[in-house]
Amino acid sequence: MAEPPAEKTAVETVAESVINKNFKVPELIGEINVPRVEDGYRRKGVTSAIKPHMAKPAVQAKVGFPETLVDNWEEAAVKRLGELLEKYKSLQVYLDICVRCGSCTDKCQFFIGSNDPNNMPVARAELLRRVYKKYFTTEGKIFGKLAGAHRLDLNLLSDWYAYFHQCSQCRRCSVFCPYGIDTAEISMAAREIMDSIGIGQKYVNEILGKVHEIGNNLGMNPKALAATLESTEEDIEEEDGVPVKLPLDQEGADVLLVTPSADFFASPHIESLIGYAKVFHQAGISWTLSTAASEAGNFGMFIGSYTQLEKVAARVRNAIGELKPKRLVVGECGHAWRVAYSFWNTLIGPFDTLDPRYPAPQHIVEFTLDLVRRGAIKLDKSANDEFTVTFHDSCNVARGSRMGDRPGGQFTMPRELIKASCNKYVDMDPSTTMEKTFCCGGGGGLLTDEILEIRVAGAMPRMQALHAVMESDGVNFMALICAICKAQFTKVLPKYGIPMTVAGGVHQLVGRAIELGAKE
Amino acid sequence: MSGLTLIFGLFFYVSIAIFLVGFMAKVWKYGSTPAPLKIPQTPAPVSAPGVGVRYLQEVFVFKSLFRGNKVLWLGGYLFHLGLLFVLLKHLRFFIAPTSSILSTLVKFDVYSGFILVAALIFLLILRLAIDRHFYISLASDYALLLLLIGIGGTGLLSRFWENGHVRPSVPEVKNFVAGLVTFHPASVPEHKLFLIHFSLVMLLLIYFPFSKLMHAGGVFYSPTRNQIDNPREKRWVNPWAKQVTAAAAAPAAAPVAAAEEPSEG
Amino acid sequence: MSFEFEGKTYETDDDGYLLDLDSWNREVAGHIAEMEGVEMTDAHWEVVDFLRNYYQEYSIAPAIKILIKEMKKMFGPDKGNSAYLYNLYPAGPALQACKIAGLPKPTGCV
Repeated sequence: MAEPPAEKTAVETVAESVINKNFKVPELIGEINVPRVEDGYRRKGVTSAIKPHMAKPAVQAKVGFPETLVDNWEEAAVKRLGELLEKYKSLQVYLDICVRCGSCTDKCQFFIGSNDPNNMPVARAELLRRVYKKYFTTEGKIFGKLAGAHRLDLNLLSDWYAYFHQCSQCRRCSVFCPYGIDTAEISMAAREIMDSIGIGQKYVNEILGKVHEIGNNLGMNPKALAATLESTEEDIEEEDGVPVKLPLDQEGADVLLVTPSADFFASPHIESLIGYAKVFHQAGISWTLSTAASEAGNFGMFIGSYTQLEKVAARVRNAIGELKPKRLVVGECGHAWRVAYSFWNTLIGPFDTLDPRYPAPQHIVEFTLDLVRRGAIKLDKSANDEFTVTFHDSCNVARGSRMGDRPGGQFTMPRELIKASCNKYVDMDPSTTMEKTFCCGGGGGLLTDEILEIRVAGAMPRMQALHAVMESDGVNFMALICAICKAQFTKVLPKYGIPMTVAGGVHQLVGRAIELGAKE
Repeated sequence: MSGLTLIFGLFFYVSIAIFLVGFMAKVWKYGSTPAPLKIPQTPAPVSAPGVGVRYLQEVFVFKSLFRGNKVLWLGGYLFHLGLLFVLLKHLRFFIAPTSSILSTLVKFDVYSGFILVAALIFLLILRLAIDRHFYISLASDYALLLLLIGIGGTGLLSRFWENGHVRPSVPEVKNFVAGLVTFHPASVPEHKLFLIHFSLVMLLLIYFPFSKLMHAGGVFYSPTRNQIDNPREKRWVNPWAKQVTAAAAAPAAAPVAAAEEPSEG
Repeated sequence: MSFEFEGKTYETDDDGYLLDLDSWNREVAGHIAEMEGVEMTDAHWEVVDFLRNYYQEYSIAPAIKILIKEMKKMFGPDKGNSAYLYNLYPAGPALQACKIAGLPKPTGCV
C-alpha cells in the first residue's frame, strides 16, 4: 500500500521550485516592448516557482547563519526587520515614502522579460513593505490589507524567496524614481532577513564560505592559482614571444591588483587578465596578484550582510599589510568595483600606507587609460580590425560607482579606452546605455543555472539592443567590464542564437592591441 | 462660544498637533537613522552644492519622474503646482491684513483650483486605466486621491457656487481661522460646505504623518540622492559598525583584538 | 539528491554532481553522460581523464584555457580550441564535463 504523501515542511514549501529546461527564449526583434499585465488582480505570478537552490545546513553554518528555517521564523524575521530599520536610513525611508506612482513599473529587465507583475520594482518592494506596514506602521495596524499590510506567512515567505532572487540589484528602477527609492537596498534587506532565519541561497552562501576558507569565489587554492598563472605566462610568451609575467605575492611591488577569481579560470575572463599583464609589462610598472586577496568580488553585498561585506573586504587590507604595495588597482568586475569604490574606504580604510598621488582604489580602466593618454603604452587599433565593437555598461559600475574625477567618468573612460584599442565602435540604443543601462540578467547573485530561465528573460532588453546594432552596424564584439556579465552573456547569447564569442573583455581588446617590446 | 465652534476648534487643534508632532517625529526618525555606506545613485554630484542642484531639479521639476514617465509627470506636476498656488491663496485666511501680492494672486488666479482637481482626476484615471498602475494600486491609494478630490471639490464649490448661497464669506472664515491661530476662538462659519471642506482637510492632516504623504519630508533623506559621490576622497565612517579586525578575517592569525566601540548611534 | 545505478546509490548535489569524488567510475560516468545526452567517444574520455587528473593534483578543475591547451597537445591544433570543446560538451565544458568526470560544480562568476 502506498504511503500517503508526507506533508511538506515549511522549509520545503519555501524551497519548492520548478526548473523548466525547455522555456521559451524571447524572439529577437531589435526593440524592447513592455508586456501588458494581462489579467487577474494579485494573480500568482508566472515566475513564482523559479527559485534558486536553498543552501544546505553545512553551507549556512560556514557563513554563520542558522542552518535551516528556525521554528519561530515569523517572529524572528520581524525582529530582524526591526533591527535593520534602525540601522539603514535607506530601508527606513524607502519603505515609508513610496507613493506607488508607477514610474518604475516598466523599467526592470526581469519584468520586461518575464511579464510577471511581481517583478515590477514597486511590486517587488511591496512584498517587504507589506510586512513593514503590518508590524511597524500605525496605518497598517489600523487599516490592514486596505493599506497593503500583510503578515509574513508561508506564502509570502515563498514569494520573498522567489522574487528577491529575481532582482539583480542593478538600481535601474531608482534612476526613474522621484525619490530615488533603490530596490537593491530593499532586496538586500529581504535577503539578510531570510539568511537570519535560516533561508539562504546556495550559490551565494557557498561562495562566501569558499572565500573565507580558501580565499576566492572559485575555491582555487594557492597551488592551483600559481599553476594557472604560470600556464598563462607560457601562453603569452608562445603567442607574442615576450616574457610577460603574472607575479603572485611579490612583496614591495608597486601595484597590488585585486581581480575577480573568474579571471583565473573562465573564458573570456582570462583574456582580460592577459590584457592587464601586458599593460603592466609594457608600462614597466611592477605589480602583483595576491593569494590572500585573490578575489575582487564581494558577494556579501548581494545578501545585504555588512558583516560578510566587511569580512571579505578585510582580506584586501591584509594583503596590503603583507605585500606593502603603493597602489591598489581593481580588475574588471562590476559589483566588485562598486564595493571597492564606494565601500572599501569605509570598510577597510583609510589607505594611508598607499601613495596618496593615486586614487585608492583605482579601476584598471582608469589605470590603463592614464597610460594611454600619457603615451606610456601604445595601442595598435588595427589589431582589432576584425571587430566592430559595442560596450555594455555594467549596472554596478554605471549606477553605483565612478571612474576619474568627474561624474559620468564611468561611461566615458571605458569608451575612450575601447576606442583607443579598435577602429570600429558603435553605441547601442541610448535608452539602454550609461545610467539607463540594463543589467545583463545575471547580477546580484543570480548567476546560477537552476534559475537560467529568469536569467534569459532578464537579458532580453540587452539582447534586443545588441541585436539591433548587430543588424545595423555589423557589431560582433560586445566589450564588458564585469566577470558576471562575461559569464552571463557567454551562457545566454547562444540561447538567443548569437555566438558566445561576441562577449569579451575591455582588456581583451587592449591586450590584443598593445604593442609589446622596446619603447622608443 | 457655540458647541459647534468648540467641536471644530478642538478638531483643528488636535489635527494640527497630530500633523506637526507626527511629521516632525517621522522626519526626526529619517534624519537620525544612520546610513552605514555610501550609496549615491551615480552619476552623482561630487560636492555639496552639486547635491543642492540635484535636489532643486527633483523638487522643482520632478526630473527623475520626467525621465521615467512623461504622462505621469504631467499629472503629478500639475497637481503639485495647483496645490502650491491654492495653498498660497489660502494664506489670506491667516494673514491680516492681506498683502497686495496675495490679493492680486487671488484676483487673477482662478485656474489653480481647477487644475488641482483635474490633475487629481487624471491621476485617478491613470491608476485605473494603465494595467501596471492598476496592479500596484492599493485601496489606500484610491482613498487618498478621493480625499484630495473631495477637498479640492468642496473648495472650488465654496469659492464659485455663489448663487447657491452656500458660499461662506471670506471675512467670516478669516475671523474663525485668525481666532484659531491666535488662541482666541471665534464662531465657526455655519456653512455646510465650509464645514465639510474644513473637516476633510483636518482628516488629511491627521492621516499625513502615517501615510505615503511623508514623501514630502522623506525625499530629502533619500541616501541615493542626498549623498555626495566622494567615497575615495573622503572616508565615510559607519556610525554603528564595529571594525572587523584582521584576526576575524583570518581566524588562524593572532589573538582577537578588542573591537572598537562605535562612537555614536 | 541521489540516483540509482546498477544497484548502487550515488549521492549528488542539487544539480546532479557527485558528492563523493571516489564513488566515480567509468560506468557511472557513462550513465551521467547518458542523462546529459552526451555520447562518450575517446575524445570525451580524454577530456574527462585530464580533468580528473588535474583535480587530483590541484583540488579544482583546470581553467578552460589550460584544458584547451591540453587538448591541443592531445588532438592537434585543429581540435585544440573552444569550438571543438563545446562540440564535445554542448552545455559548456566547465559544467558538463566536470559533471561527467565526477568533479564538483565550479562556482563563482564562471
